[in-house]
Amino acid sequence: MIEVNERIDVPAPPDEVWKILSNPRDVVDCVPGATLGEAHEDGTLDAAVVVKFGPAKVTFKAVVGMELDEATKTGQVSSKGKDNQGGTRFNAKMNFGVVDQPPGSAIDIKATVEITGRLASLVEGGAKLVVKYMTNEFSKRLAERVSTETAK
Amino acid sequence: MKVYERLAEAFKAEGTKHIFGMMGDGNMYWMHALAKLGVTKFEVRHEGAGLGMADGFARVTRTPGVATATCGPGVSQLATALLTASRARSPLVAFVGEHPMGDDEYNQQLKVEIFAAACETGFVRVKTPDSVDDMVRKAFYRARVESRPIMLSAPMDVQQKPFDDDEPYVPSTQVLTRGLIMPNPAALDKAVEIISNSKKPVIIVGRGAKWANAGDAVKKLAERTGAVIATTLMAKTWLNEDEFHVGVSGTYGTRTSMKLFEESDCVIAVGASLNQFTTEHGYLYPNAKFVHLDTQTHVIMGNGRGADCYVQTDARTGVEALESALAKRNFKATGYRTGEVRERLANAWEDRTQFDLDPGTVDPRLVITALDDVIPDTISLNTGSGATAGFSNILFRKQRPNVLAGHFYGCIGQMLPAAMGAIVATGNKPLVLVDGDASVMMHLAEFETAVRYNQPLLVVVMNNEMLGAEYYKLDVHKMEAEQSCITTPDLGAVAVAFGGRGKLARSVEDVRKAAAEWVAKPGPMMIDVRISRSVIPLPYRRIHYGKDE
Repeated sequence: MIEVNERIDVPAPPDEVWKILSNPRDVVDCVPGATLGEAHEDGTLDAAVVVKFGPAKVTFKAVVGMELDEATKTGQVSSKGKDNQGGTRFNAKMNFGVVDQPPGSAIDIKATVEITGRLASLVEGGAKLVVKYMTNEFSKRLAERVSTETAK
Repeated sequence: MKVYERLAEAFKAEGTKHIFGMMGDGNMYWMHALAKLGVTKFEVRHEGAGLGMADGFARVTRTPGVATATCGPGVSQLATALLTASRARSPLVAFVGEHPMGDDEYNQQLKVEIFAAACETGFVRVKTPDSVDDMVRKAFYRARVESRPIMLSAPMDVQQKPFDDDEPYVPSTQVLTRGLIMPNPAALDKAVEIISNSKKPVIIVGRGAKWANAGDAVKKLAERTGAVIATTLMAKTWLNEDEFHVGVSGTYGTRTSMKLFEESDCVIAVGASLNQFTTEHGYLYPNAKFVHLDTQTHVIMGNGRGADCYVQTDARTGVEALESALAKRNFKATGYRTGEVRERLANAWEDRTQFDLDPGTVDPRLVITALDDVIPDTISLNTGSGATAGFSNILFRKQRPNVLAGHFYGCIGQMLPAAMGAIVATGNKPLVLVDGDASVMMHLAEFETAVRYNQPLLVVVMNNEMLGAEYYKLDVHKMEAEQSCITTPDLGAVAVAFGGRGKLARSVEDVRKAAAEWVAKPGPMMIDVRISRSVIPLPYRRIHYGKDE
């Protein structure tokens, strides 16, 4: 089980940040290697993520669900799926919240990622670092996006 | 004649010229009888090491190696070595004594049959004097056919019973006839179809192809299809005279080769099981169709699936048939054999990552390249397992008479015995073993055995005074990596104390000088090279640190 605990500082007020975070397409755009597919009637979405573990590139297909609470500006994203060869599964849960932090805001992220199956033995400790890299990249892209959107 | 004497005669008739093991009251009469028949016994310091030597012998000769242990306590020492030999698919016969039948309270009693089963070892028991010939023949027959260790157990009281048949013993080779397995034409057609539609083929050759002498046929097929040639770890460096040879397929591969594998649309595997290591559970070849040639009825690959086209065949016969079927269709493709790929391969072996070295130590990568340079290609090589295999299994590049890698059963300590057995198998030809410190220390006492038999063995200890795999894993998890560190004495001095030669090396020059000295006069020698912990083996950078350089 890989755990992520991050706080991202963003140079925009909480309402503006929430607008972006509550739109799944905007969020997925910030995940490196991710693309969004069809939306389903139950509100879930198809997504694909290409992850590079060492020299091996692995494509995961996932179903993503999102629950939002506008009053508290918190949300939960859950995604699970398997790779395109069917040998590895993953299950990720992320809780996030936007908090006021004048002059901007901060996003608290707590997530767990579980990788099981063939790839698990192959990536061992490496997966943790790959997820950490992806989280950092996600934070960076999200901060950039918030800055660009709020500057409009 | 006693039963133990007939047992000895039968072993000799099966072609046994050497036995590896330790004497005890369960096997001493049999060993004594064998010595009188002119069979050489290698008296070892640990029964497991003796079996490891028989394993090394079998891996080179492809005929049954013979190991022995007394009974109970000697037999249970065989566990790890039996499992290693089983995973290596080495044909072996382990002769062991057993407590007298009917005396279940015997102090050294062991439930041998159950023990053998847990060690993936076949079991045959000599229950009566009348069955001696049948049981020995059965043990050797099964070792040859099943290609794994078979334990032949003889209760001590049965060994002492009279044997009064004067018919000559009929060895298992006389009841076992084997012909070549020819490929099924329909399967061959399907293989031709897949290959002729591919643009970027990779041929992966394994031990099966090597054993079948399929080398020339493989190179011809590679030329026709435009395939690059990769090997399994077990066939490392084989056929690398081909300019489009890309090295090992798997975690020990180069970054360049992995890119080529990723783009490949067709894998032709010859005598290679395509297990999870060779294909990284299939992830190395995400876009390829698989054509799989092997002698077994069928093989499930490391990705959990069967090939798109499986052809049960002898390796050489199958490859030749495939090549001529493609020729009949006038199929000839450039495939991967282009100037651009040649250029990509030119610098494939360069490991560009820089590390600051710990004081008084050497970069392990430079140790391997220096050894590969100084040790002539007429000398065989064994590489060990554990962290330092991440250097040796990538960077040794010369073709050599025998290149044996460890890793079967994922244990350390097994390659020193295997190296000694391999030397016996080649009639005492020089061999270099490159292994880690924890691995060599495990059966260090056997270096004294190598000295006693004056073996032309050079042991190069890649010594970082730690359990390397654990060190890097602990480091990744931000735990106290130092907990995996264990000091070792100067192993060069230990080798000298054992009656051999030895050196402690702290520079590449020290390594070159000591290795050259051994090459000039091969004998039992150990070089203890102090290597830097800071240099992370490339496979670990990939697996544990998520990097690809």
